[in-house]
Amino acid sequence: MINIICALQCEARPLIEHYRLQGNARHSAFRCYQNDEMRLVVCGVGKLAAATATAYLAALSLPTSDAWLNLGIAGHADREIGEPLLAHKLIDASSERQWFPAIVIPAPCASETLTTVDKPEAAYREETMVDMEATGFYAAASRFQSSELIHSLKVISDNRGHHSDNISEKSTSGLIHRNIHTLDSIITQLQQLVAQLHQIAQTPAEVYSFMEQWHFTAYQQNELRHLIRRWYALTPDTPPLPVDFSDYKNSKAVIKAIREQLDNRPIRFDEACQ
Amino acid sequence: MHRFIYIEEAIADHPRTHAICARFPKATRVYCKHYGEIFNRKGQNFRLQKQQPALILAHKHKGHVLPAPDGYGIGGRRNYYFSHMLNCLYDCRYCFLQGMYRSANYVIFVNYEDFQQAIIDTAIQHKDEELWFFSGYDCDSLAYEPVTDFTRVFLPTFKAHPNAHLELRTKSLQIRTLLKSEPIQNCVIAFSFTPQEISRALEHDVPSVEKRIAAMLKLQQQGWRLGLRFDPMIYQQGYEEDYRRLFEQLFSRLSADAIHSVSLGTLRTPRAFHQNMVNLYPEEKLFAGPLEESNGMITYRKELEEQMTTFCYEQLMQYIPQSLFFACTPPERK
Repeated sequence: MINIICALQCEARPLIEHYRLQGNARHSAFRCYQNDEMRLVVCGVGKLAAATATAYLAALSLPTSDAWLNLGIAGHADREIGEPLLAHKLIDASSERQWFPAIVIPAPCASETLTTVDKPEAAYREETMVDMEATGFYAAASRFQSSELIHSLKVISDNRGHHSDNISEKSTSGLIHRNIHTLDSIITQLQQLVAQLHQIAQTPAEVYSFMEQWHFTAYQQNELRHLIRRWYALTPDTPPLPVDFSDYKNSKAVIKAIREQLDNRPIRFDEACQ
Repeated sequence: MHRFIYIEEAIADHPRTHAICARFPKATRVYCKHYGEIFNRKGQNFRLQKQQPALILAHKHKGHVLPAPDGYGIGGRRNYYFSHMLNCLYDCRYCFLQGMYRSANYVIFVNYEDFQQAIIDTAIQHKDEELWFFSGYDCDSLAYEPVTDFTRVFLPTFKAHPNAHLELRTKSLQIRTLLKSEPIQNCVIAFSFTPQEISRALEHDVPSVEKRIAAMLKLQQQGWRLGLRFDPMIYQQGYEEDYRRLFEQLFSRLSADAIHSVSLGTLRTPRAFHQNMVNLYPEEKLFAGPLEESNGMITYRKELEEQMTTFCYEQLMQYIPQSLFFACTPPERK
């Protein structure tokens, strides 16, 4: 699942259309849209709003295998209008705190520092994008997910030659719309990372099959999970089946039997399975 | 290769920073106050980062030379280690670094001169003793040589202080600098090995056993002193034949005169690091093997560990004199 935080409805609109996201009326705190692979929240302007919306989305599910993206427009002294940029460094202007998103995806665009300010600024800072949400978003999202899966993508909306007074809802939607392929590429890459993490962290289905047959205490459930993962590591093509342990009366005996089988299993690294 | 280079602001103008950055002209440079902001922070995934590690250039402020951990030695009474680099180009599944560090990014401490001074100070402080300095504890000593220039810079320091001995521990073929240099007697180039089948499965991106032997032969021919490190020994069914073949492969090619030392160590990982490694790679066969916890360390079961150590020790004794052998976990003598 990809969670996207946009400050403004006009930033979100091109995504809602492109990904055919459906509004979800159950959520009254924020405007939420979603499909099977993506959730989008329109949080409003400011880092506090961004942090609150991020935490709100995180609370809706178990977000440990979700990716997070803050999408919006930003100003920059001399970058071209319409240029998409990932943030490789986030600076909170008021606290001077810094974050460094780990960009391991083969990003389809360049990257830049992004400074989050509390109030709009007339003067442009040097060598940084400027927005009003990213650090709130990042500080909140990094409580739930690893830094490789949390990113801010900004499209340059104004610079010294094209001041922010010229920005309209229509032009903002246009800027986002023209970068939808860049966004799409980033989302695809993040989905692949999410899938990798999900596969790594996934509890094997057999754990639940065993738990249906016998009663395992919480401690034993952990032990069972560990043993079945071991089983998969040693013989990935032949999962353990509860029926093969049906002679055992209780969970303790089942765990002992699984462990004994594993301990006696030969290991060769150059063979697929024994 | 690196898309991002993080640079501590304080060393942005260090000549070595410029030299290293020049090797990656397309990399995006990101400035930070302290490398720990990137390397040590919580909420990172080593496995994901290993797919595209960034480079971090930093200044090491203290602890340039540290006492080596127990069992990390080849006969010297005073053993030290120093780390100009954190993390490794290779991806060995048994390596404790992946359990110890949160980040897979490579850190290079560019202030080599401070490491060199600490080595010189230690050498002078114990001028009547033989000291050993190990450089391959937190990284492979040679693998990143084209970028770090490490041996070219450090060898003269050791040449000037003969009581200070240097072990370069490696699985790399980056020996060009060594081949261009005059061998020094207080430096040992120690190559680590596991049998080829195990290496192929567990030592990702590491050159083949055959290629490493070829590199050793070139060094031997030039007069460098060589070390062999079988640390850790890795268990698999039929390991006896695998290790017997590996030893034969090595000792049939290498000249006994060039061998300075041979050491043998068992797989041993602090429990917390091991748990991190299992969480990163739950599908890894190595971690599903006959392991147990002993005194806070994850090791092979005691009887297996003893069997492997005894077997390998006895095999090695067919090729080398006892005086060249050093064990991290000594075998029980019969």
